[in-house]
Amino acid sequence: MKFCVCIKQVPDVTAPIQIRDGALSMDAGRVVLNAYDASAVEEALVLTEATDDEVDVVLIGPDRATETIRKALAMGAARGTHLVVPESTELDSAAVSKILADRFEGHSYDVILTGKQAQDTDAGLGGGMLAERLGLPFATNAVGLAIEGNQLIVTRQGDTGQEILAIPTPCLVTCSNDMNNPRIPNLKGVMGAKKKPVDSAPLADIPSAAVRVLGFESLPTRSPGRFIEGETAEQVAELVGLLELS
Amino acid sequence: MPTILAYVAVQNGSPSRGSLEVLSRARQIAENQGAICAACVLTADASSVVGELGRYGAQKVYAVNNPVFRQHINAPVLAALEAMIGHAQPSLVVFPSSEGVKDVLGALAVRTGASVLPDVASFEMKDGAVEALRPVMAAKFMARTRAEGALVLVSVRAGSYEATESPAEATIEEIPFSFDQSALRQTLREIVGSTAGAIDLADAQVVIAAGRGVKDEAGKQLVEELAEVLGAGIGSSRAVVESGMFPATAQIGQTGKVVSPDLYIGVGISGAIQHVAGMSNSRTIVAINTNPDAPIFDVATYGIVGDLYKVLPILIEEIKKKKTVAT
Repeated sequence: MKFCVCIKQVPDVTAPIQIRDGALSMDAGRVVLNAYDASAVEEALVLTEATDDEVDVVLIGPDRATETIRKALAMGAARGTHLVVPESTELDSAAVSKILADRFEGHSYDVILTGKQAQDTDAGLGGGMLAERLGLPFATNAVGLAIEGNQLIVTRQGDTGQEILAIPTPCLVTCSNDMNNPRIPNLKGVMGAKKKPVDSAPLADIPSAAVRVLGFESLPTRSPGRFIEGETAEQVAELVGLLELS
Repeated sequence: MPTILAYVAVQNGSPSRGSLEVLSRARQIAENQGAICAACVLTADASSVVGELGRYGAQKVYAVNNPVFRQHINAPVLAALEAMIGHAQPSLVVFPSSEGVKDVLGALAVRTGASVLPDVASFEMKDGAVEALRPVMAAKFMARTRAEGALVLVSVRAGSYEATESPAEATIEEIPFSFDQSALRQTLREIVGSTAGAIDLADAQVVIAAGRGVKDEAGKQLVEELAEVLGAGIGSSRAVVESGMFPATAQIGQTGKVVSPDLYIGVGISGAIQHVAGMSNSRTIVAINTNPDAPIFDVATYGIVGDLYKVLPILIEEIKKKKTVAT
């Protein structure tokens, strides 16, 4: 089966981030492959390991995002497509899915994978939007994938349990980070990635965004609580006295 | 008159708590905008919930009755919501941010030409558009976002609004809907690790959350005993789910469930920001942890620095005593 994984470069959310004048300021400036997308790449690699099939990746982002494509290639993907947009281009999920849908026209992938959301926006819309534009059956929040004939068996985390679905290919699946532990590229992979093809071209038409970010704010804080002191029995007695139990 | 639509998820024959929260918020917005507050329900039989939806302010209930909605499969849900929106012509549709809703929201927005604000902590109408605060960057910050368009879809995190009653005389209107099974394409084979019958975490009034401090079967049993005496749902941090001690449905946090119970008790849980994002709307937060510097104490109402293996047995006994006296 032919796989393509849609990936995104995101700020490293574990690095120090401050708010200045309503904008996020990341002095460290560290950027990484979105963790959910890394799980999608890993799963595509595992599912194609036993076959001759290759895994492609596609990314929308500024010039500097090429390094994130190289990361996926170092993991084992065969080739990348970089749709280049100017630095700080504002794209909402609808615009991203529009660009990707145009890109997938004329390609025949059996499975399109992507992360269930991006770590920076946490929106989780792009996968479903892309599937709808391409007219593909889809599943989201997958924690397990298997190939069975010409269909995919998807285990997804639902509201009341894990739902096991059979979906015919071609299809689109969004992946949870609970699916696997993405491999860390070894030196051979990193060196090999430099020679792999990356088709890079500036994006001619950038759709306008209907959803805009006006600014960033700190999280609301809770009023401060207090420690309950004393010996364990005293602590518990005081706590139980404080709780309203019905 | 414009219509504000609230999507109501029905679980075990009743509207979910998150659904009543968004219905209450939709009602407030409708009152301010001079709009009709309507609910929409996809279920096997909507007649059983109409009374309750009216009590929370729905003036109208749009219903699609079909046994296919006993389980979540995205294709028929999408088709029914599309029919519902086409029929009711709302300017705004408000959803509880459940996994079922997350599954269809993006596709529905494309299909109906709507703008969409997912997983918001609050929202309002402002100058003809919808503005919302939503957690971003792994829940470290809030982004103020604005959606333009004739139709806006908003999904709301659990516990963001209170479910409040405001009785209205709800009339039910059934939307004609047929779904070709052969067009279903995907099939649901089974649901494993189902929590059906157990206390649903998202709806629970009391939640016990287990963290890394719960190291073994004995610790797990203490958590289960405490949950039993309190009638609580059991949640956990991601690390403990990964260890296999609790099911994935128990995971609370930015990538798991968002809970907002009256009482949350974190047991041996450090309170990483991703976990706190899933429980900080709880009314009273109790934290039990050996490490006084654990970040969970920053959001706790009451903190006990102590070993859960010593604290829980006494706590279980004390609660039993208090409950016996009360009844």
